[in-house]
This record gives sequence, C-alpha cells and structure tokens, in this order.
Amino acid sequence: MKRLTDWWFAPAPAERLAALRIFIGGYAFLYLWIRFGELLAVSRLPVAQWKAVGVTTWSGHLPPSVVIALVVATMVALGAFVLGAGYRYVAPVAALGLLFVTTYRNSWGMVFHTENLLVLHLAALSLAPAADAWSIDRWRGWVRAHTGGYGWAIKLLVALTAATYVLAGVAKLRIAGFDWIDGELLRNQIAIDNLRKALLGDSVAPLATQFLEHPAGFTIFSALTMVLELGAPVALVGGLPARMWALAIWGFHVGVVLLMNIWFLYPLVFVAFLPVVHCERPIAWAIRRVRDRRRTGMPAA
Amino acid sequence: MNRVAAAVVSIALIGATLSPLVRDPVADSFPLSTYPMFAWKRPTKLTMSYAIGETATGERRYLTPRIVGSGEVLQARAIVERAVNQGGSELRAFCTKVAANVARLERFADVTRIRVLSGTHDAIDFLVRDQRGVEYERTKCEVRR
Repeated sequence: MKRLTDWWFAPAPAERLAALRIFIGGYAFLYLWIRFGELLAVSRLPVAQWKAVGVTTWSGHLPPSVVIALVVATMVALGAFVLGAGYRYVAPVAALGLLFVTTYRNSWGMVFHTENLLVLHLAALSLAPAADAWSIDRWRGWVRAHTGGYGWAIKLLVALTAATYVLAGVAKLRIAGFDWIDGELLRNQIAIDNLRKALLGDSVAPLATQFLEHPAGFTIFSALTMVLELGAPVALVGGLPARMWALAIWGFHVGVVLLMNIWFLYPLVFVAFLPVVHCERPIAWAIRRVRDRRRTGMPAA
Repeated sequence: MNRVAAAVVSIALIGATLSPLVRDPVADSFPLSTYPMFAWKRPTKLTMSYAIGETATGERRYLTPRIVGSGEVLQARAIVERAVNQGGSELRAFCTKVAANVARLERFADVTRIRVLSGTHDAIDFLVRDQRGVEYERTKCEVRR
C-alpha cells in the first residue's frame, strides 16, 4: 500500500499541472468557440428528436436561448479557468458547464465519443490544485499549501486517458469476442461508415476505397487496435513507454481519419496526451524569454 | 488539498470512468461511455434513407449533411429517417425544406429536384465498384428559385 501511495503521490512540479490547466482548458474554450454555430443549430432541432442521456435526463429539453446562455457562461468560466482566476470556485463551474453543454449535444438520438475524455480531464483538473502556478490566483497570493502535491493529479489525468481506451477495447471483446481481431468486422465497419457518408454527401475517407479492396490488411489493423487499447495502462508507467504509447495511439487516430474520416480532435491535436510529457517546458521557455526581454531589452540566448 | 482528499477524488473519478464495465455494453451514455462504437459485427449491406438532388437531365447530386439539418452525418441520418418514418405531410415538409436550402446554394445551382430515397446498398460494391443497390422513392419535390 505504501509503495502504491508513494508512486501515486510522487512529486511533480506545480508548473506541469498549471500547463495542463492552460492547454486543456484552452482547448475546451476553443472547442466551444468553434462549435458554437453547431451547438446553436442543435438547440433548434425538433423536440421529437430529443433523447436525453446522462445529466440531460434531469434537465430535459431546454429553449435555445437557455442553451446559448449556458454555452456562453461555460466559455466565460473556461476563460477564468485558463487564467486561474478564482480557480477554486470557477473551475467546478467550468467543468459542470462543459459536462452539460456536451451532454446536450449528445442528446439528439446519437451519442458521440469525441468529447468524453475532455469532459473527464476537465472534471479532474477542476478538483486539483492546478492554479498554484502561472495563474492570477498565484499572482494575487490566493494559493494555499497542498500536502498532496501535484503529481497525483497528473497521474489521474493519465489514468482517465488509459481507462477510456481500455473500455473501448473491452467493449469490442464483450460485444464481438475475439472475432473482432480477424479484420472482417473492422473492414465492414469502415465500409458501412463510408457508405453512410457517401449517401449523405459527406466526404469519404481518403484511403478507405484503396484499403477496402485489400481486406487482408484489416487483420493487422484490428490486432494493433486491440493491443493499443488494452495496453493503454502502460501510460501509467511514465517515461519513454508512456510517450511511445501516446505516439502510437495518436497514429491510430490518424489512421481513423484516413480510413473513416472521423476526427477525434482532442487526441489528434495531442492535448489528450500532454499529461505524459513535460508540457510545462514550452510555457516556461516563453515566460523566460519575455522576462529576459523585459529586463535587458534583448531576447534570451 | 491533502492526500486523503486527493485519494478520494482519484478513486471516485477512476471508479466512475470504469463503471460502464459493470453495465450492459450496449447501454451507452455520456460521458461515462461503454465505447461500443466499431464493436458490432455487421454485414456490408446497409438500408437507409437519404435525400439526393437531381439535375434537369436526371444526373444525381449527393447533398451535404448540413442541408438536411445537421453538420454531423449521424444526426443528419436520424433527421432523414425520422421524416421518412413519419411519412405524409411531415415527409413532404422535410423535402420542401431541403429544396429551400438547396435553392440558396450556388454549388447546387443545377439541381432542379429533390428525391428522398430509401436504399439498400452493399458498401463494398458501392464504394469500390461504383455499383448502386436497390432504391425506393419516398417522395420528391421541385427546387424553386
């Protein structure tokens, strides 16, 4: 037990957790900004299409004006989240807001799987001391001492990432069994998904047609998918194995774009995998440069 | 935050994320998902409804999901299926709405008619060999400009 707690609470710099707050919160803000038009369109869909999931089973269908107000309020809270202003109070509001807004988007007869990890990461960050560095709270002297440190929160983000991939792998085994690995099932999924896109006028994936002509390759894709998904806990080891896994699963998502034209944006832009790298370094470098420029009028070497 | 509180937060969030393991894998939700996508065994044959545009010479133009009512393909599909299932005046109103959306778009300037179809296609034949399956017309309407 002691070894487990020592590992879970191994120290990590406050700046790394702060960088994750900035990158993940910033991604969530931009995501809502870019999706604003779609969220508006979704809120105006006919009530007959409404099919509540998760938290929207409590709220029910809402008027479009209320939905838009909630999206805007969430974006404001996310802005404060990124800046680390009043973090203890604002961060849970931002996390709950994002949970509601994304659940609302998923409550129209089709549950997507592109935002789950973002929502989980933001929830974890909102309950962690992620504004103890590079924040307005820090600048104003509003931060408190934390005996738990910062490493556990970063490990929690990695654990949540790994858990979602393991779940995806387990679902394949629970639903289709080991037949999933023979490649035919994946090939048929890719074929059907692209047919649907073609009939509804969306873009067919760039490599779909070429690969559908050569079904043998799908056995390799299927086996690799299963290894990467069920092997996700390797990310908790940290260091090179974690970074290699992150790179491999990123490659898997690129493959999904090329074969299915499905964009899991959060992992594709690598923000989902930042907890396994030293993501504070670019921010620290930028801050050093700005400070040196201010002090000397010269850029840092 | 002390270690006990941090441990409680960690266990609660990881436990919640893994909780779909004890659910029926088909019972999906958000954000605590069983991630059942791509797990199903399925044939390459698909029956679905969709709206297409047609030019004066009978040439086919596939529309975009947004014209139907959503930028998301699967939501667009649900909108078409719902209209087809309702049939009658609801289906005609849907067709007219799609036609009105098409009339506003320059890239579909040659489209004169909207047809709402239900078709059964083999995905491999359709995508690789360019062979269409069987189609049944549900309704059609003119594009008025």
